[in-house]
Amino acid sequence: MSSVKPLRVSDQVQTESVTATLTERPWNVVVWDDPVTPMSVVVVIFRKVFGYPNNKATQLMLTVHHEGRAIVWSGTLERAQTYCVKLQVAGLLSTIEQDS
Amino acid sequence: MAARLFVRRRDGRIEVRLNDAARMIAREAFGHVLAAEADPEHEWHASLNAPIDPSHDVDDPLATLSRQHEVTSNVELAVATLNEEFLNDAEAWAWLCTLQVALRATITTKGIMTSERLHEIDDATRDYITTLQMFLFGLADVL
Repeated sequence: MSSVKPLRVSDQVQTESVTATLTERPWNVVVWDDPVTPMSVVVVIFRKVFGYPNNKATQLMLTVHHEGRAIVWSGTLERAQTYCVKLQVAGLLSTIEQDS
Repeated sequence: MAARLFVRRRDGRIEVRLNDAARMIAREAFGHVLAAEADPEHEWHASLNAPIDPSHDVDDPLATLSRQHEVTSNVELAVATLNEEFLNDAEAWAWLCTLQVALRATITTKGIMTSERLHEIDDATRDYITTLQMFLFGLADVL
């Protein structure tokens, strides 16, 4: 007979809550600035990869340029990885990170 | 006014107005990307394999494989259309991606990650970077 005590209902609820919080934190796709990539190229890549309209793509490009980085998309890990790969394939410096 | 290197025609095709010397530079850049993807010893290889998630020691192998496949597809399409007078949108996109990968690999291997460092580079490197940027400006203008 097992000597392990079953979890109380309150413990189970707490564990599920922590798990849900961890899994629900979105993953961010981050693009980093560099000194040579033309601004118009970054805008085209954002439009092509994400389907963003020109205004949003330009705004994100300017954030990268002025702040050194920008979160360009947030969501599930799988899609974040896919977008990050597409940005790297297009030659941008991109990484993913889980939202803090 | 400077001549445009790529022009969108009324029928939707993109006309390539590069002379032989310019196509040679593009050929060289495409060749380096193709070689770097296949050869771990190539100086551009690390740049083409930057981490996807820096918080982990090793990236998801499927994501890494997908990146390798897409880079190779783009560069092979770019090489196959290098001497074409006209490109369609997919071919022009492959050119843009491959040239941008070459530009990034160049600055990464030479440690040019700041504007200050960019001002210190030798003339040959500056000319090469400027030429790739001109190609990219032209392509972004028509895509």
